[in-house]
Amino acid sequence: MVIKMIRKLVEDLKNGNIDPIEYVNKTYDRIEKYDKTINAFITVRDKNEVIKEVKDNILKGSKLAGVLIAIKDNISTKGIRTTCASKMLEYYIPPYDATVIEKLKREGAVILGKTNMDEFAMGSTTETSYFGPTRNPWDLERTPGGSSGGSGAALAAGYVELALGSDTGGSIRAPAAYTATFGLKPSYGTVSRFGLVAYANSLEQIGPMAKNAEDLGFLYTIIAGPDERDATTIDFKPDENIVEEKIEKIKIGILNDILELSDKPIVLTIKDITNKLASEGAIIEDTRLGYAEYALPAYYIIAMSEASSNLARYDGVRYGYSRYMEGNWREAYSKNRGEGFGIEVKRRILLGSFILSAGYYEEFYIKALKVRNLIKKSLDELFKKYDILISPTMPILPPKIGEVVNDPVKMYAMDLNTVIANLAAIPALSMPAGFYNNLPIGLQLMGKYLSDMKLIGISSYIEKNITKLYNLTAPI
Amino acid sequence: MKIEVNENLIKHLEGLALIQLSPEEEKIIKDDIKKILDFFNKLNELDLTNVEPLFHPLPQGRLRKDIPKEPLDREEALKNVKRKENGYIIGPKTYGD
Repeated sequence: MVIKMIRKLVEDLKNGNIDPIEYVNKTYDRIEKYDKTINAFITVRDKNEVIKEVKDNILKGSKLAGVLIAIKDNISTKGIRTTCASKMLEYYIPPYDATVIEKLKREGAVILGKTNMDEFAMGSTTETSYFGPTRNPWDLERTPGGSSGGSGAALAAGYVELALGSDTGGSIRAPAAYTATFGLKPSYGTVSRFGLVAYANSLEQIGPMAKNAEDLGFLYTIIAGPDERDATTIDFKPDENIVEEKIEKIKIGILNDILELSDKPIVLTIKDITNKLASEGAIIEDTRLGYAEYALPAYYIIAMSEASSNLARYDGVRYGYSRYMEGNWREAYSKNRGEGFGIEVKRRILLGSFILSAGYYEEFYIKALKVRNLIKKSLDELFKKYDILISPTMPILPPKIGEVVNDPVKMYAMDLNTVIANLAAIPALSMPAGFYNNLPIGLQLMGKYLSDMKLIGISSYIEKNITKLYNLTAPI
Repeated sequence: MKIEVNENLIKHLEGLALIQLSPEEEKIIKDDIKKILDFFNKLNELDLTNVEPLFHPLPQGRLRKDIPKEPLDREEALKNVKRKENGYIIGPKTYGD
């Protein structure tokens, strides 16, 4: 079994073992057959254009020459509609590419389409999309997680081998866990956010999604690197070689305060993996994050505050939903925004405006930032003792469509295990851990700042030697 | 801090956020905001007196040299504008009724 799907695919396209027209046709046939149900894509590009680009790019001999990739619909793609799954941007066509898109194009990748997501990435199930929910290819009654659920579903449905997502509080890792794929929330500042439609700047990163650790790392090394158009990128370029980490003597902490809050089948699956790691020589210890139950409210306070400021730009004047222009500017803006945004987005903007308003700023926002500091310090201490921290990616199994979306606090609780990494800027990876009643369960690895490639190396060891779960496609 | 979430507060927030809600939405959001503020109040269990707030995970940003770059073409930049005239964007009235 070949694990490195992408390197082989590039080689096969180059050598003529795979015919480019057949490659594209097969992909479009599959999308036509299944995507009316799954709804992973908001926009699929014209097939003939894609065939032409694949054929042209194969000749370039670059790292992703001719490879089709799915892009989350909050990443700017020049000339391709970018909606953020919102009525507000239903017809918005960006005049420029995000830096990550420029990088992918430079390496010969071909954008297949733009994937469904929670509106403006605000949600954990891909149900708040204006274009309807995405269904989980492993169980069509259930959500694929969110907010990058379209990207996860596009991988699990076998449309593509690579996708981009974005992760503000778990939006790459939740769908990776629920679709039995791999996703990385990179260390903050290692991937340019130029061209990522902003939700909460201090928390979010664009990141790779794939079906095995090697491809995940391969895609990460392509999109990472400093960018003068994003002042928060750092001078760091990850090593391109993915080294499978030795497990012997590696020190792993299990976050018990998080494990305790997860459903039993998930706990058992994670424990099974850590037991196997221990029997292969890893040093496993039970530990605690501390402040676990405070991370979630702190995260939501910060995210909503930043969101209320970021989404102030949608006024319907320069671009976006623009039905009203009558009355004074306050009336026109308020009406356009009232109709252009969905309910979850409005909820977060209103709450964010409240939190940042006079009298409440200290009460909520500053307190949340203090908790953020406590969590970061607690993690700094933990990483003096441990190489990595392990937890489940999600505390519950994939919920059914409609089960959580109308109860905000219940939906927010799904992000319990994932928000920690965003608050502290550290890398976090989700990989398939196992199944319970045919529903995927994800394993989350967290490491210290800039240890992204180490996490990928460890997940590469785990997929090969312990879980043997890679390159999975759902039986639709 | 006990906050009374009522119609007046929702109207106030609609004004701050420049979002006009429908009466049904006002009702839903009023109930949600009550629940979400309870959830946020969890933080009051902690004594945070001597903790510094962490606004941003990175200590400093990178700045590029202050050299003009080739900007977007004007036509191209205005493509998504619904109402325009002679290369200008037409906006709503900024004063008066």
